[in-house]
Amino acid sequence: MEGITKRFGDVVANDDVDFSLEKGSIHALLGENGSGKTTLMSVLYGLYEKNAGTIHVDGEPRAFGSPRDAMDAGIGMIHQHFQLVETMTVLQNVVLGHEPTDNGLVDMSAARNDIEDICSRYQFGVDQFLDTKVQELDLGARQRVEIVKSLYRGADILILDEPTAVLTPQEIAELLDVMAELANAGHSLIFITHKLGEALDAADEITVLRDGEAIGTVDSGETSESELARMMVGREVQFDRPPRDAPRGDPVLDAEQLHVRGSRGLEQVSGVDVTVREGEILGIAGVQGNGQTELVEALTGLRDIDAGSVQFSGEDITDTNRRQRIDAGIAYIPENRTTEGLVQEYTLVRNALLGNQTVEPFVDNGMIDWAAVQRHAEEIIREYDVQPPNEDAEAKSLSGGNQQKFIVGREIEHAPDVMIASHPTRGVDIGSIEFIHDRLLELREAGMGIVVVSSKLDEIQKLADRIAVMYEGEFMATVEPTETTEEELGMLMTGHGPDDASGGVKS
Amino acid sequence: MSRSSKRLYDVVDSAAGHMLRASVIERLAIATASIALALLIGVGIVAAAGYDPVAFLTSLVEGAIGGQSAIARTLRFSTLFILTGVAVAVAFRAGVFNIGVQGQFVVGGFATIMSIIRTAPLLPEGVVGGVGLLLVGFAAGACAGGVYGAFPGALKAYADANVIITTIMLNFIATGVVGWLVQNPFRGEGNTAPNTERIPEYVSLPRIVFDSPGFSIVGLGIALATVAVIFVVMERSRFGYDMVTSGHQQSAATYSGVGAKRTIVLTMTLSGMVAGVAGAVFAIMIQGYYTDPSGIGTYGFDAIAVSLLAANNPLGIVPAGLLFGGLDSAGSHIGIYTDVPVQLIDGVIGLVILFVSVPELFRMAAQRTGLGGESR
Repeated sequence: MEGITKRFGDVVANDDVDFSLEKGSIHALLGENGSGKTTLMSVLYGLYEKNAGTIHVDGEPRAFGSPRDAMDAGIGMIHQHFQLVETMTVLQNVVLGHEPTDNGLVDMSAARNDIEDICSRYQFGVDQFLDTKVQELDLGARQRVEIVKSLYRGADILILDEPTAVLTPQEIAELLDVMAELANAGHSLIFITHKLGEALDAADEITVLRDGEAIGTVDSGETSESELARMMVGREVQFDRPPRDAPRGDPVLDAEQLHVRGSRGLEQVSGVDVTVREGEILGIAGVQGNGQTELVEALTGLRDIDAGSVQFSGEDITDTNRRQRIDAGIAYIPENRTTEGLVQEYTLVRNALLGNQTVEPFVDNGMIDWAAVQRHAEEIIREYDVQPPNEDAEAKSLSGGNQQKFIVGREIEHAPDVMIASHPTRGVDIGSIEFIHDRLLELREAGMGIVVVSSKLDEIQKLADRIAVMYEGEFMATVEPTETTEEELGMLMTGHGPDDASGGVKS
Repeated sequence: MSRSSKRLYDVVDSAAGHMLRASVIERLAIATASIALALLIGVGIVAAAGYDPVAFLTSLVEGAIGGQSAIARTLRFSTLFILTGVAVAVAFRAGVFNIGVQGQFVVGGFATIMSIIRTAPLLPEGVVGGVGLLLVGFAAGACAGGVYGAFPGALKAYADANVIITTIMLNFIATGVVGWLVQNPFRGEGNTAPNTERIPEYVSLPRIVFDSPGFSIVGLGIALATVAVIFVVMERSRFGYDMVTSGHQQSAATYSGVGAKRTIVLTMTLSGMVAGVAGAVFAIMIQGYYTDPSGIGTYGFDAIAVSLLAANNPLGIVPAGLLFGGLDSAGSHIGIYTDVPVQLIDGVIGLVILFVSVPELFRMAAQRTGLGGESR
């Protein structure tokens, strides 16, 4: 694949990406969520049409209009969410859409033989389930069924999209064995992941994507986790850490021994303690997908917790919901501005009410005063330099940076006691980044307690007074930004330490 | 005082703004052209089938707006289409597909009649008692419809049951159970037909304008007032904002502190209450008793088409309801005064509805998928 570019409206998901896969090898595609991995593979698989670039398979230039074309060219994709009919048997699922026919009737016995052949060649252990319904299988077995399905359709190139996300550690080990075996048999595999360790273990080559661009391709034998982490997280702007000496106040938000499950039911946060004081910024660093999202949602009241407690200004708020926490004074700049922070089809006026539905003067006795909301929207646009300055524009017509400035403005204008900012500058232009950083630092000077979650180390180092590094649902360590180095943070982010790390202090 | 009158002014002002927007005029023009085209084709089919196309067309117009009784009949149907249409629109705007308006309509209407019959002995006869019983009946209808809507809402919120399936099933259950009840325990004394007793004569909506059976301008007034109330709730209240935001973008609503489960239940309750009011108007204004609901018409289903035609906008429900009312009224007139078979009449009416809704469906599909750009 050469020079692949894919745009969704104004958003560039893949920017001039080159990618090449050697026959009989495993190539990992590594990057954070939203870095464009799945988009790139969806272009290859014919799900999306590319805006520019060329694809060659075995030296032939190809263009796939649909997954069916890609399948015919020997490319199979195993999606993150399995594409199986749960109420049908494994055999039926495998042949679905590619039924061998004999005089117009489906020849199941021929199919059965072919599938048993495939299974015995790679020792999949799927043949014993052929007549079992998919809904009775565990996730690891379902994934092997998906692989068998692709092989049955004649796939030489297999794309596995985050295959380990839903598996237990034992299942992951089995999957990596299966992948190695397939590569030995001459198949070529693309392994999409955001986990560094798995990429290093499984792949021959690793290509790192960041913000839609291919940062580089390295040999897995010649690289290290910390190098990969640096490539993934990147360094865009050189930030100077402003000097500060304001005394820290009392703890305002205090969570103890939080245990939180993710959307798929697996525990994503395992026994985390968080303390935020007045007038400080707590930075939470880490490669995305290590439980930061779930932690933030537990703190803001969007996700139930399994165990632990959350205290706010000395009161137990563990059982309160999001709206009660908004009223209490916990503002939240969400991770995803397009799906959470703004209703895309609403004007900025209507969006100015989002999260303010219980705040006077905008709403009084359950009735909305749109004139007051309109004035509020105009104020946010003026104070936070939102372009274009038109409160009747729909949110989706604004650029990412301006959407984010609007959200930041709206949340700050709540006059909260605690601000939780999740990736506050992701995908935002440099000018807006500086602007948002300055505002957060001002709030800190004014005595607010702030949590900043980011996977950008430079951002964390610039803003934070303390840095907690999160890895696989736990805080590896909490360190002082002035006493740590990027290397040390990189090690912590990949699960080494805190013993290996110097300068760590207890939280 | 000044504050509330200002608020009223704002409501009227923005309502007018909604009505006068260019796209609304455009839509009306498209709808008119679609009706004309559909009628042209329909008349062609009627002629090809060997019937008199001129007589067909004349009686179509006569049946819809030709004289007092035709207009009254049109408005009678329209009243019900507007009320049930608003019930559907409330739910659809919030992203909850309430297909159960028919069931909520039936349950609401039955509760209205039974509550009036059971309360009547306790109140004095005459105007005072009549008004009191009307209030009792409407309250019972709204409550019963609301509860019958809240139930599938709760099943969705707390047991993740598909609303479309549960509401369809609850339609059958409502029709079956009410049908059995009017046949057996609640059949009026001496009735051979499966009907309840009649409600007292003095419990009725006054005719005032049209002297035509089964229609009262008060019923239409109730429908228009309901439209106004729902419009204000959707556009001006926090609950409406929460609801519409949930329909647009659930994740953003959750982020802003809207409880998804609670909103689903409340939406279905409100939708069911409006359907229950529709049932009460039907029971009091048209029937005066309750009968086997399998034979009372499918207002709750037709309402889905009414609501979609109006792009689920409460104000748009009024013209859409009038169109459906006019077509139904014309259909029954043609059936009586010409020899065109009823199947053919229904076919032509279906053609008109199809032609009118197709541009709307395209528009909604385009908005949902983001295809086709800003202007169509």
